[in-house]
Amino acid sequence: MYKKRKTGINWPVTILLFIGLITVAFPLYMTIVIAFKQPSEMTNSIAGILSLPKSWSLDNFRQAMELTDFWRSLGNSLLVTISTVVLCIIIHSLMGFAVGRNKAHSKVYNLIYLFIVSGMFVPFAILMMPLAKQTAEMHLNNWVGVILLYVVFYMPMNLLLYTGYLVNIPVALEEAARVDGASTWRTFWKVIFPIMKPMHATVAVITALAVWNDVMTPLIIMSGKGQNTLPLAQLTFQTQFGTNYNLAFASYLLALVPIVLFYVICQKQIINGVVNGAVK
Amino acid sequence: MRKRNVGSAAAAIAVIAVAALSGCGSGEEDKVTEVEILQYKPEAAAYFDQVESAFNASHNDIRLTISSPNDASTIMRTRFIREDYPDIIGIGGDINYSYYVDAGILADMSDYEGLADISQSYVDILDALEIVPTDGTYGIPYAANAAGILYNQDLFEEHGWEIPETWTELLDLCGEIQADGIQPFYFGFRDVWTCLAPWNALAVGLTPSDTCQRVNAGETTFAQEYRETAEKCMKLLEYGPEDPFAYGYNDACTAFANGQSAMYPIGSYAVPQILSVNPDMNINSFVMPANENPEDNTLNSGVDLLFAVTEKCGNKEAAYEVISFLLEDENLQEYISAQNAISCKKGDFQLAPELEGMQTFIEAGKMADFQDHYYPSEMAADALIQTFLINKDVDGFLNDFDRRWQRYNRDIIRKVQEYNEEHGTDE
Amino acid sequence: MKKMNDSKRTYMLITIPILAMFVCFNTIPLIRGVIYSFTNFKGFGSYDFIGFRNYIDLFTDPRIGGSYLFTVKLAIVATILTNVISLILALGLNSKIRAKTFLRGAYFVPNVLGALVVGYIFQYFFTYILPEIGSALGIEALQGSMLSDSGTAWIAIVIVCAWQSIAMNTIIYISGLQTVPEDVYEAGGLDGATGWKKFRYLTFPLIIPFFSINMVLCVKNFLMVFDQIMAMTKGGPEQSTESISYLIYNNGLSGGSFGYQSANAVVFFIVIVAISVAQMTISSKKEEQL
Repeated sequence: MYKKRKTGINWPVTILLFIGLITVAFPLYMTIVIAFKQPSEMTNSIAGILSLPKSWSLDNFRQAMELTDFWRSLGNSLLVTISTVVLCIIIHSLMGFAVGRNKAHSKVYNLIYLFIVSGMFVPFAILMMPLAKQTAEMHLNNWVGVILLYVVFYMPMNLLLYTGYLVNIPVALEEAARVDGASTWRTFWKVIFPIMKPMHATVAVITALAVWNDVMTPLIIMSGKGQNTLPLAQLTFQTQFGTNYNLAFASYLLALVPIVLFYVICQKQIINGVVNGAVK
Repeated sequence: MRKRNVGSAAAAIAVIAVAALSGCGSGEEDKVTEVEILQYKPEAAAYFDQVESAFNASHNDIRLTISSPNDASTIMRTRFIREDYPDIIGIGGDINYSYYVDAGILADMSDYEGLADISQSYVDILDALEIVPTDGTYGIPYAANAAGILYNQDLFEEHGWEIPETWTELLDLCGEIQADGIQPFYFGFRDVWTCLAPWNALAVGLTPSDTCQRVNAGETTFAQEYRETAEKCMKLLEYGPEDPFAYGYNDACTAFANGQSAMYPIGSYAVPQILSVNPDMNINSFVMPANENPEDNTLNSGVDLLFAVTEKCGNKEAAYEVISFLLEDENLQEYISAQNAISCKKGDFQLAPELEGMQTFIEAGKMADFQDHYYPSEMAADALIQTFLINKDVDGFLNDFDRRWQRYNRDIIRKVQEYNEEHGTDE
Repeated sequence: MKKMNDSKRTYMLITIPILAMFVCFNTIPLIRGVIYSFTNFKGFGSYDFIGFRNYIDLFTDPRIGGSYLFTVKLAIVATILTNVISLILALGLNSKIRAKTFLRGAYFVPNVLGALVVGYIFQYFFTYILPEIGSALGIEALQGSMLSDSGTAWIAIVIVCAWQSIAMNTIIYISGLQTVPEDVYEAGGLDGATGWKKFRYLTFPLIIPFFSINMVLCVKNFLMVFDQIMAMTKGGPEQSTESISYLIYNNGLSGGSFGYQSANAVVFFIVIVAISVAQMTISSKKEEQL
């Protein structure tokens, strides 16, 4: 049985996974169909909602792009997301390294670790008003402030991930580098940072997704001044007494594409990274 | 230190981000007064953009910016906390207005000349919202909405159903509609706030409009005032869908638009959503006939949009000029046509056809504010009503309502009673 | 000796500025929030200090009690459900299968769909589709809408929560599985370890760190559940799905009880930190044992 697995394709698992895909395919199908329909095609019957749209016109997508100022909002979203992800990978992996390598034998580092990780559980609502005030006082009520806050908000989770990953990286690797005369700083960049590649990809995916979908932080920090990110622009479709689901769904489908592509690329990194690590 | 490399890399990224994202700075000219409006109705953004450019084209001394952001209420709160006040805010006449007046955020506008042109009923509605009575006027009512019962005009004409004027007539009508094989009402009570629509429409007819103030003054309780409203609200359920709590607002709008029910107890604000599903539908409305005597029926109408100048506004004259421009008949008419609204200004404005059935009440000023405009949102009166409509326990509900009111209004009640002690309860 | 100093200094130089940044944008605002919890601040305007009134009120407020019960119940069930399914999914997606990239990408989608879309689709599913399936199969329990019954609405929320978070947990498990060296399996293969045994004695011990991470993240995400509540029930029916975060946001930020809900948030924070520290201590002990 083991031999079979090693050589051939595992068909039963493949088939089961495709069957399980129905839980994703069905909602996605509904999203796509609704994105192409007109508001007048919306009904409360199952047959009505699952039926194909009368015409496959891209008009909803065009309108949704116009209403959200799509390319500009997309650009803003990309910029914020990419800046945050890059900063998070650099800063959080460093922190993960410093804390992860010391928390086992140093009470101070262990305390720092617990201190930061527990920051994950601070309900954002309690921070909102104080942060709105504080960022304005510090003249950070702009994109820099938003990015900075993201780096702080996701630090607890990413620290958890990086230190968790570090457990499986033998200390011997660093010691070998140090024997060769490299400083700790250099060892980190030359040895540890590359080995953590799969975790970088994981952190990148999780952080990117959280930032990509976030509405609250830019909303309260920028307070409507400055340009929208995609999720902010998408609020347009929902007003108190009416929601244009058709345009909204079209817009959400458009916003879905970049992040899924990003995920697929990162997934490859997770796998490739391990191969590289193993070679070392 | 090598650490700096990381630091500078980070800084570089940050700088790029700022450079790319922050827009241009604003130019400063001495003579021009800047006036900023922050209004809470993003659905009217197109109208306000147009007004903004029309105003700026005709005025050299004032530069107007109107922002209609999404989720404006959160934005307003965060701007207030950092004391970055817009010159004028456009909000609804609900408890937030009461709070803002009470917090001293809004300026007294009783010296504004245009106030004379505003329909007295709406000025009174705003006055009543003040937690403790003041001499001032803190908002200019702009547009109002109304709630009652929307009906499918084509179905009514087809079957020859008559518009009811009393509670008995309404129940008889429902029976008649059912006999014709059609469901009288649709409800979307899964979205808890929709429970407030029939509730408010009944409450204005059955309880005095100052009920909440009198409870705050300790003169009455909701258990005394709301029993009939609660019972009648529950009665309506018999004529709705089997499980009204399964459906949301959107389901109910869609169902009503598709002729699945003859009537829908909701406000005028639902008309655009209903028409989006069925653009050809003929919708009309009537006032909730809550009483046995048609004379006692009252239209449920409240201020949907008001403009208020903030205390921190630098140039009140300029702000007034902007408000006068917004109130020009032509502009106001455009707003009310686009938003299916009711004008708060006196004059001959074209009412949306869907509100035709309410016209006599509007013209006579026979109306009272939504009672939920006095309910603090954290009290979740809507959820209480939903709970009651599910478990049908009138006594339990009324007690809960009173108990929760006391809990969430503690500070307001204290303030009201202190005021009354000082001034005496009789005005 | 010199080397030790170098590494100690480097660790310190890394830690201090990052820690400072964290304190500045997390701890200091938190302290300010804690201060508000002793006031009757509405979120604007002036306010008075009222001592411990908010905290005393918390313990007499039946809504707060109800929200804790609901949230904890949801968190426990959703955490178990999510972890079991995503671990199975990760093992499946990590085995030798066809269309690996496609499948991995596809299973990621639920995490990306916005709350508006998820809310609409699942409301539709629970209101119209599931009752229809229930009637077709003759299962009485499914014939009403799960969302309109206060006994079942929480299950619907669990399903949506799990559906959305499985993707994230799967990613973490997949990256954990990458750290399991191939030779472990080879050694295991020689011993004749197969299926469940192989997983239990070879794979699982090696991914325990990832299991603990997922547990912590799940517990945290589900205890703080908000989006799914807003999208699905807004706290109804009969206020049976009011989560703690829902009350904090709705009453504190949209409503006028900012001070009171800050107190709620402070207590909530202490409760989750206590749970999570306990959880992390237990799992790190387990890690050491292995």
